[in-house]
Amino acid sequence: MGGKVVRIALAGEGGQGVQSIAEIITEAAFNEGKEALYCPNFGLEQRGGVSIAFVQIGDSRIGAPKFKTGDIFIALSLRAIKRCRQYIGPETTLVYDSSIVGAEAEVPPNAARVMAIPAIQRSKEELHPRVFNIVIMGAVIGATGVVTMEQAREALEAKLGGKFKQNPDLRELNYRALEMGRDLIGKSGE
Amino acid sequence: MASVIEGEKKVFMTGNEVAAWAALAAGADIMFGYPITPQNEVMHYWTRLAPRYGRKFLQTEDEISAGFTTCGGLQAGCKAFTATAGPGNVLMQEPYGMAEAMRLPLLAIIQQRGGPSSGTVVYSQQEVTLTTYGGNGEGHRIVYSTASHQEIYDYVIKGFNVAWKYRFPTFVMGDGYQAKMRESMVMYDPAARGIELVPANPIIGLSGEIGVDRECVHLCNIYSLEEELYEVLQKMEADYQKMTPEVVEYDARFCEDAEIIVVSHGVVSRAGQDAVKILRAQGFPAGYFRPITLRPFPQEALRKAVENCKKVLVVESALNQLQRLVKENLYDVALEVDALAKPAVGIIADEIVARYKEFRK
Repeated sequence: MGGKVVRIALAGEGGQGVQSIAEIITEAAFNEGKEALYCPNFGLEQRGGVSIAFVQIGDSRIGAPKFKTGDIFIALSLRAIKRCRQYIGPETTLVYDSSIVGAEAEVPPNAARVMAIPAIQRSKEELHPRVFNIVIMGAVIGATGVVTMEQAREALEAKLGGKFKQNPDLRELNYRALEMGRDLIGKSGE
Repeated sequence: MASVIEGEKKVFMTGNEVAAWAALAAGADIMFGYPITPQNEVMHYWTRLAPRYGRKFLQTEDEISAGFTTCGGLQAGCKAFTATAGPGNVLMQEPYGMAEAMRLPLLAIIQQRGGPSSGTVVYSQQEVTLTTYGGNGEGHRIVYSTASHQEIYDYVIKGFNVAWKYRFPTFVMGDGYQAKMRESMVMYDPAARGIELVPANPIIGLSGEIGVDRECVHLCNIYSLEEELYEVLQKMEADYQKMTPEVVEYDARFCEDAEIIVVSHGVVSRAGQDAVKILRAQGFPAGYFRPITLRPFPQEALRKAVENCKKVLVVESALNQLQRLVKENLYDVALEVDALAKPAVGIIADEIVARYKEFRK
């Protein structure tokens, strides 16, 4: 309780990187002096199925590790939308990738706001398919403002610093992916 | 022994990692273990960290063996511990029983998962009965139920001390959420906070002549005569009762004028506490009670907390495990008991608030 807590749920196929996004964002929030809690879903479905990350960020102690409905729900596959409908409520902004075929039919009617962003397409065309999850991370930050871009860049450095050292171009690529995600959210409002 | 943590250090990590660090800070010498989700990373982090501090690890062929090798390490005078979950906790009941019988200062970290059987690898509070009274004895154990990463750290350190001081097997019981989630906590050097670590000493193989320099050590877990065992159990129970007021822990808030007291433990107590705050803000006189030790149970404190209330709402991620303990300890108190019992799934504050309002009608 206490101050307002932002609740973010991320769901996708195993390997799409939702757990990494959650880890980096909460790490950034912690470094910014906020209270953060990240609870992964770690059932057997990780071996080929929907992976879910529950993130809560606020100013005071976080209560229960999971929540009923999120403020923002990011779905990266059709199965993720289907399986996680229960986490979408009248206060939830649902964000999904516009390349997901059949997503519209699965969107729960009660969501507060629905945004389809071309993260997969844009990252593939302009950056590299592998930074898709960082584009999504930028979108989460753009939509919620839970951490500053500066802090997000530092958290990326902490997580991927080793790889950046080997290939400094990767740093720029990841930073651009972060900005792309933020801008996609800004531009895709109704 | 060089201190593991210099001063204090605020960190953001998983509960399993916290448990491994806490065991290091508590001066644990060796871990015996066998992998099982959601406890695995206690082992993984321990195996990474232990060699840096001259500590040891042995992976055994199964949990039965991990429990018994822990018993062996303790007899040799090592601060030994283990960690497990679910079916592993079931298999370890036999060595835990031996630790009870021989009064070995065994420490086990339990991360509860869904049951029965393999259930889920995720989360539950269904190992309460098993951890408190699981053996073929009288449950002469100490069981802490933690609610946060800070508490995992605090109670692992405290758990080793209590085990070595009172010589009853001690359990620090979390759950899959606490094991796997990340949140902030402060690691510290126990000495810097004035916490004295109880030293580990060999229990067998002592020097000196028996009968001259020292008494004989007779560790026994089998007796020929029923009366012999009866006598041992009388002493064990007397020691346990004597210890109880010194180790029992709980948290009680807003109970004096409460109409209904919400009783919860472990990670669910976080939602319980939030629910009571929400209810109070809405004008409902709700109370909050959380047993921190599930064994020994804070009977006296709970009976005092409910003195002025009419009803108790037990909330747990199990069907009837905390509730059974609560009812047993409130036997003969005229009270209505209701439960929000959700076996193997998490509980949030809003659900407790809703149930509370239904129950007060």
